[in-house]
Amino acid sequence: LECTMDAFLCLTSAYFPKWRRGHQTYKRTLVLLDNLNIRDTHSIFFRSLADRGFDLSFKTADDPSLSLIKYGQFLYDHLIIFSPSVEDFGGNINVETITSFIDGGGNVLVAAGSDIGDPLRELGSECGIEFDEEKTAVIDHHHYDVSDPGEHTLIVADPENLLKAPTIVGNPSDKPILFKGVGMVADPDNPLVLDILTGSSTSYSYFPDRPISQYPHAVGKNTLLIAGLQARNNARVVFSGSLYFFSDAFFNSAVQKATPGSQRYAQTGNMELAEALSQWVFKEAGVLRVGAVTHHPVGESTPPAAYTITDLVEYSVVIEKLSKGSWVPFDGKDIQLEFVRIDPFVRTYLKKNGDKYSVQFKLPDVYGVFQFKVDYNRLGYTHLYSSTQVSVRPLQHTQYDRFIPSAFPYYASVFSMMGGLFVFSIVFLHMKEKEKSD
Amino acid sequence: AWTPGWSVFCLVLLTVALGAQALTPSHHLSLSDVDRLKGLLSQPFTDLASAYYSIVGLSKLGASVADENDACQFLKAQLDPMSVDSLFFAAEASQAIADCEVSIFNETRDILLAAVSEDSTVTQIFRAVSALSSLGLPLASQEVVAALVARIAKEDNVLAITTALQTATRLSQQAELGGILEEIEDLAARLDDLGGVYLQFEEGLEATALFVTAAYTLSDHADTEPPLKEDQVIQLVNSVFSKKSWDSRSEAFSVACAAAALSSNRFHVPVIVSTQGPATVSHSQPILHLLVTDILSNPLASANLLVESAQAVASKSVVLSQAPFSLRNGIFELNFMASQPASGYYQFTVAVTGDSRLVANQVELKVKVSTEVAVTNMDLSVVDKDQSIGTKTSRVDYPFKAKGSFTADSHQNFAMNFQLVDANTGVELTPHQTFVRFHNQKTGQEVVFVAEPDSKNLYKFELDTAERKSEFDSMSGTYVLHLIVGDATLENPILWNVADVVLKFLDEEAPAAIQSKTLYMPKPDIQHLFREPEKKPPTVVSNTFTALVLSPFLLLLILWFKLGANISNFSLSPSSVLFHVGHACMLGLMYVYWTHLNMFQTLKYLAIIGSLTFLAGNRMLAQKAVKRYGQSSTLTFFTRSTCEN
Repeated sequence: LECTMDAFLCLTSAYFPKWRRGHQTYKRTLVLLDNLNIRDTHSIFFRSLADRGFDLSFKTADDPSLSLIKYGQFLYDHLIIFSPSVEDFGGNINVETITSFIDGGGNVLVAAGSDIGDPLRELGSECGIEFDEEKTAVIDHHHYDVSDPGEHTLIVADPENLLKAPTIVGNPSDKPILFKGVGMVADPDNPLVLDILTGSSTSYSYFPDRPISQYPHAVGKNTLLIAGLQARNNARVVFSGSLYFFSDAFFNSAVQKATPGSQRYAQTGNMELAEALSQWVFKEAGVLRVGAVTHHPVGESTPPAAYTITDLVEYSVVIEKLSKGSWVPFDGKDIQLEFVRIDPFVRTYLKKNGDKYSVQFKLPDVYGVFQFKVDYNRLGYTHLYSSTQVSVRPLQHTQYDRFIPSAFPYYASVFSMMGGLFVFSIVFLHMKEKEKSD
Repeated sequence: AWTPGWSVFCLVLLTVALGAQALTPSHHLSLSDVDRLKGLLSQPFTDLASAYYSIVGLSKLGASVADENDACQFLKAQLDPMSVDSLFFAAEASQAIADCEVSIFNETRDILLAAVSEDSTVTQIFRAVSALSSLGLPLASQEVVAALVARIAKEDNVLAITTALQTATRLSQQAELGGILEEIEDLAARLDDLGGVYLQFEEGLEATALFVTAAYTLSDHADTEPPLKEDQVIQLVNSVFSKKSWDSRSEAFSVACAAAALSSNRFHVPVIVSTQGPATVSHSQPILHLLVTDILSNPLASANLLVESAQAVASKSVVLSQAPFSLRNGIFELNFMASQPASGYYQFTVAVTGDSRLVANQVELKVKVSTEVAVTNMDLSVVDKDQSIGTKTSRVDYPFKAKGSFTADSHQNFAMNFQLVDANTGVELTPHQTFVRFHNQKTGQEVVFVAEPDSKNLYKFELDTAERKSEFDSMSGTYVLHLIVGDATLENPILWNVADVVLKFLDEEAPAAIQSKTLYMPKPDIQHLFREPEKKPPTVVSNTFTALVLSPFLLLLILWFKLGANISNFSLSPSSVLFHVGHACMLGLMYVYWTHLNMFQTLKYLAIIGSLTFLAGNRMLAQKAVKRYGQSSTLTFFTRSTCEN
């Protein structure tokens, strides 16, 4: 019996391997490669992902068995496309399924190269990033590496051209970044595109072997080497113009600008940057969530059914950050609370108070249905949004001022009336009339 | 035909651009790779298997462990004389160390021979046979062959067959190895071809590397050429040596073995031709330096190097043919500038001869002839569009900045004329990058234009201020003008701050707020502006009127006093006291209602006080009536009459 049970278990696990992985992690990752040798040439990057618990499935991009979605469920949480030259994805993956994967919250890391094919260019356009044409390369005659093969396309990118967002690019370092590949420009109408790494002022993107006959696709600082995007649903996408950027060779290489007198660095900054980028794009870094939200009038501990205008109110919220797989209190200095009735009436900074962020403020003297709203959207972090609805009512009639100096004549008349009535009733009832006869 | 794929990459080989015809190895172990491989293998070992990988792997790379005595002691200490694996690791490792012999017992041979049978796995047979041969014990080769052939039939997988090949290298050359030799060809047919560049087993790098090792060692042993084509050898080289960061000691060991097998065998030795430094010659560095090495970056001393042809990439004209390189200190040299090439790229076809074993000995190289550029005749001017005023031209010399600044408004064009010449030959040049950059230092905005040469290679750049205002966002101000000149064949790229230009645009628009910059910023604080309390009339007025309002009551008291009002009829009966107290309480309740209570509370209190007062009032009035009329009557009558009154 034991044998048959074992065989049965083996069979089931072979048929439904996803069952076992499905629950535990959100780290199922599909890696699409031009050929499986990339697994060897980029082994450091993949190993660092595997060490961080990612469950990597390597497939060639034209594998006919590829699929991202099965029975309406995503089979993977993340997608790595390291196949720049792919002309047609295999199976039922295409640009549409990848965009719907992003719309469904999936994260995508794309590395291109000078041999970029149409699907990746289309995917870029969907995300607000325009790749230059096939066979073009980013060229920089002023900042190329000493080991450049001759076309000045092995570019040394200064770390100061990185986006100033440590959650995305890691801690600042002075190590230059080696890049060789295709250039991009950001769609100016898409405010969500992040210029993670730009070229220097002297760089441009063109065919290295043809004279410049038309204005280059990307020139100067507009040339994007690495671009990112955090969609409105917090799905993240990173486009690198260079697949070599992630290679073992670039990770381990020394780097030195060819300009005489340049400093030599024993190692490029590629490994640190690639690791930070992968942590960001696969939601290991820069992920926030809202915990308990409490609000009550100052001096009380529970919220009333309705607040009264001009009440002094205390609002507090717990905000947590994902760090190495666990949630820890977030430390931010610019979190704002809005008190909104269609438009915000009050906007104020929240102060960190233990593990909570809190603030006391006076409600406006306007009644209606309001919301306490924390809408925290910062570079590199997921969009944090919390709104709590409360009603604010006007003063009850007993809550108004009783004695206004200007109205003293009215009070006086009323009280003199009342006094008069009382005195009159006594006098009227108990007066002893003099005898008329007297 | 093979085209340079993106994945063809190795940092050292970056210096060699590959041609389109012949397949050449795109990956090998550079000196730094060999050092890293040695470093990985030199890590301290903890068990016999890792000691075996380290000691044998290092010996394949021509190195040895740091302390051979220690290593030998370790092997002796860890040896389990009853285990085939343990014997194999210790025996093989001790072979690689000088003067290290592991002691064996009498039963050792029996244990090992017992493992050579059809019932053992191929790995067991391999380990037993290797141990026997390393320990110098006799064995019957033909029996081993028979056992291997039987096992392969059962274990038909790449690793098992590769292991069988390795076993065969330990057998006597007299044994019938033909059947096993054929397995090399069968295995080669199982290799996967990836894009024509890589050839590997899907079992991974280790399997591929061990196959290469086994195939060449066995071919050497049996003295027959391995059935691998030249292209296949190169593709195998690419896949074995493309991985530069090895996961484990055994993987590093397999790569070291493959490298050793490919650099010293009797049939195929792949050649790596690389330039020393960049593949560039110029007037200052006229000599092209080439290194000819094997897979392990050891120079091939016996080789000769010949340029079959050197062809200009742009014009396709042949500049040089059949020119030999001269060998100096292990580096092949050729003075290419002696044939006076123009600047640009040249396609070299280089042949390596001198050894019949060489594979990939036809190499295509792209060599760059670079030069230096000079900017001459730089003239700047501001031209009126209607040409009514003669233009004033000022000449600027590189690398100085023009004195004063140029001002161009919307009726004027800013013009820039210059020439780019080869500093060495004086020939006019048209470099790839000739950009004019306007940089607004206040806003950080940069606008770049491409300067284009005319038919005489004279660069004329004109900026029509009115037409180009959209590119400047109509932002008037001082712009720093840079000329950027660069080309892959230029040794001195130019970034020249030529002048300051003041641009004036007519209808200046306020710069539109860019949303993306504010998207991630904190929003401005909002303080609610509370409604101002209404302005009240002066209290003097209200106080005056308060006094006026109170005066009638005062008047009442005075008049009553004059008229002689009195309360002499007041009798201190409980009912009248209660009535007046109740009455006062009701009036007081009105005040409390105004200040503290709501209507329901008030009504409750009023009901209590009111009913008491009512009863007391009734009693009081009845007493009064009795007193007044002095006659007795029923209470009911008086009550009714009071109500009627």
